[in-house]
Amino acid sequence: MRPSFFHHIHPPTIPAVQSRWRYTLGAGGIAIFLMLVLVVTGAFEMFYYIPTPEGAGLSIQTITYLVPFGGLIRNIHFWSAQLLIIVSAVHLFRIVFTGAYTHPRRFNYLLGLALFVFSILLNFTGYILRWDSGIQWALVVGTNLIRVIPLVGNIFYQILIGGTLPGSATLIRFYAWHIFGLVSVTIILIGWHAFRVRRDGGIALPPPSLRTDLGRISRFELVRREVLAMLLTTAALIIFSVFVPAPVASPITQLTSVSAESRAPWFFLWVQQMLKWGDPFFWGVLIPLIILIILVLIPYIFPKPLEAELGRWFPKSNRLAQMTLAFIALLIILLTVFGSLPVS
Amino acid sequence: MTDISRRDFLKLARDGFLYLSGTLTLGGLIRFLDFDPNPAPQTKFDLGPTANYPLGSRTSLPEIPALLVHSEKGFAAISLTCTHLGCTLENDAQGLACSCHGSQFDTGGKVTHGPAVKHLSSLRIEITKDKMLILHTD
Amino acid sequence: MRKLIVVSSGILLLALSLAWWVNSRQPKPVELIPTLTGQPEYCLTCHVDLPEISASHPVETFGCVICHGGERLALNADLAHSTMRGGANPSALSVVEASCGGSNCHSGSEADDRHHTQRVMTSVQSTYAGAIANIRFTFGAQTDLSAYFGINAITDDNTLTGIASLDAFDVTTETNPMIQKFGENCLTCHINAVPREGEAFARQTGCAACHSTEKHTLTTAISYTQCNTCHNRGNYDLRTMTFIERTDHSLKRIDDYYQPIAQFTQCEYTLDCVDCHTRSEAMGDGDIHANKKDAQYVQCKTCHGTVDELPLTKTLTDPNDVAFRMSFLNPVVDLKIGDTIIITEEGEPLWNTRVLSNGTYEMIGKVTSQSFTFRPVMGTACEQKPDEQESHYCHECHALGR
Repeated sequence: MRPSFFHHIHPPTIPAVQSRWRYTLGAGGIAIFLMLVLVVTGAFEMFYYIPTPEGAGLSIQTITYLVPFGGLIRNIHFWSAQLLIIVSAVHLFRIVFTGAYTHPRRFNYLLGLALFVFSILLNFTGYILRWDSGIQWALVVGTNLIRVIPLVGNIFYQILIGGTLPGSATLIRFYAWHIFGLVSVTIILIGWHAFRVRRDGGIALPPPSLRTDLGRISRFELVRREVLAMLLTTAALIIFSVFVPAPVASPITQLTSVSAESRAPWFFLWVQQMLKWGDPFFWGVLIPLIILIILVLIPYIFPKPLEAELGRWFPKSNRLAQMTLAFIALLIILLTVFGSLPVS
Repeated sequence: MTDISRRDFLKLARDGFLYLSGTLTLGGLIRFLDFDPNPAPQTKFDLGPTANYPLGSRTSLPEIPALLVHSEKGFAAISLTCTHLGCTLENDAQGLACSCHGSQFDTGGKVTHGPAVKHLSSLRIEITKDKMLILHTD
Repeated sequence: MRKLIVVSSGILLLALSLAWWVNSRQPKPVELIPTLTGQPEYCLTCHVDLPEISASHPVETFGCVICHGGERLALNADLAHSTMRGGANPSALSVVEASCGGSNCHSGSEADDRHHTQRVMTSVQSTYAGAIANIRFTFGAQTDLSAYFGINAITDDNTLTGIASLDAFDVTTETNPMIQKFGENCLTCHINAVPREGEAFARQTGCAACHSTEKHTLTTAISYTQCNTCHNRGNYDLRTMTFIERTDHSLKRIDDYYQPIAQFTQCEYTLDCVDCHTRSEAMGDGDIHANKKDAQYVQCKTCHGTVDELPLTKTLTDPNDVAFRMSFLNPVVDLKIGDTIIITEEGEPLWNTRVLSNGTYEMIGKVTSQSFTFRPVMGTACEQKPDEQESHYCHECHALGR
């Protein structure tokens, strides 16, 4: 049989132990699938969305209330995006807590972190495209945070905003980033990330001499598992989206007017909480950057997991890395909880 | 009833579910795309008092586009949209001509030279009690 | 695994069927494109049985959003109502300029007599300037009866009364305890106040305080019962600065109209308030007045004349006369060019009156459409004097018993 792309991305067999749901949680695969769902639902939304300050909010109301299944497509797009952040975080956890970031997978780990950052940026730019009173302050604060960066802050701000103040140029630029600028880079990163999985020897596991269970599953069984995950994810997204609407508020009429909602999107609540403590550059840019840098350095500075302990959860040898990630996660979760409480 | 193996039944069920799902999805996406967010285009045009269009006049109304003719038989209007592929006609020596592909029509709207084959459609004129002209394009 | 896939395919099919089923159960959007805005609105999808608000505001012309605001495309109640002006009442004075005012509506020029919103906002019924000035003067917070404060701050650039502005009355800056009590207990009867609890007081605020006699209606045929949501409701005890509500309730007009202590003539209870009290009096004349008595001027002699003078009249010759506009809005009379009507001392037309050929006069009730014919005082045994126009003079002979 002549080899095809299907054969290229699915090796003839893969180790059975590491292919179990309870090992990988299917997180990486589901993340890629969610990105596909986002591209498809996003493409359909493009038939109705109008990227101007006057048209944006109204076009979203048109999609939500008037277009047949428009509300469903929009809800699926929104919930897939939020689920992607969570699933990506689960995937990051899995990688660190099974030690799957060590050589030769260190570069792929960095690619994955980059994908996480891009997912968050895509989520934020999409959020802004609503251009309603709910996102108003996130737009002002988020872009002003760029300005506080020393030396280059103002230039980056002007490039981001398309002028001196947020307005119609900002919206069209965020639209360009969201549907093309960020997506094109993300697609390249996904391709590279998936390729590196194959090139680095598949799902991380001990070398053959140290393996206890030599069972393997065929490429067809692998595909069956992928199909199952996709079917269940799709069904769950549809059912959830039928009942739980994506947020929508009244369109922005004037960017300086007072709006009731002054909350960051949920994945930035932890930053909003820190910003209450003082200098915006320190708490809003530097600290998050330091956290990212710590994550980047996990494969390089912490004690590495032993080869013999790969392929399973909670190896003892990289405990410090696991605890560091757990600590960072706990911190961010606590900050998120506090950030979501009403400002007293 | 022929016996069907368990495996084949499951395959049939799976394929049936997936094809039906595909149909529902495709149907939904087609309905999604087949929505017009614009308000309906204008079909009634106020042309003003009949006095503005004296007997013998032939008035071009480019915004519709239509030609309003006031003859002894009364008021009549013909569409100025070429019946070939929709360009707006212009006046020329013999009547009306289309600059896109060369179709020609006489002053009454009958096609004289292709590629158009259909004559220009006539549009309904309504005259109100206070002598105002209304053109209907539907 | 294969079985799981079959089951999952079934679940996916169920999910899609659920999506289609929920979609089919959604109410079909009902589109309205009002001629004044040209923009589609979907309010009628839910508000199906709402009656037309008035013959002058047909929904095909106005739609809903031009007065109420709101999100015209939203089919979710919270979002659709989120940007509505004034909640359920767009005529509340805080938003009236944008709603009833608008660019082309009831906030035009004084020359055309179309500056309604500006008139109402400066009227005594909105500012309460006289009551506030009197209380502050009585309890020593000001040394004269001039008006300095109103319920809301207001300015008048073209003042004819000399009062160019009023500051907002702020009870927290008052030091006299009686004035403080006044601020707490006695400010419930001006056009922008939320009324007191109780069915007898139930009304809206803003323009709707008078013009909206039922939910979602606008009318100029305003019955006395509407005025009585504030007027004739009881008495203030100035010593305790409390309001004592009247306790008699009656379904009979003669008993219901005025409080038990009042005296009144047949006109005063058979006609509605709006039959005599003019637009200037009730809605304001565009100037800030310090006291109700400066705004109120209609008297018995306005219609009945005096012993020496007939009432002032005017023959209608101009088809654009405001009298025709008024009678068009409330067609209890079929006013025509050439008709002669009574006018007030300020020139306001009493458009629901007519001078009859035999020297008598006719008034048609604006609310009841009842026709009343009456003679002028001149040539009768009435002892009315031009300088004795307070009601108690007429009541000496003409007061009715209940």
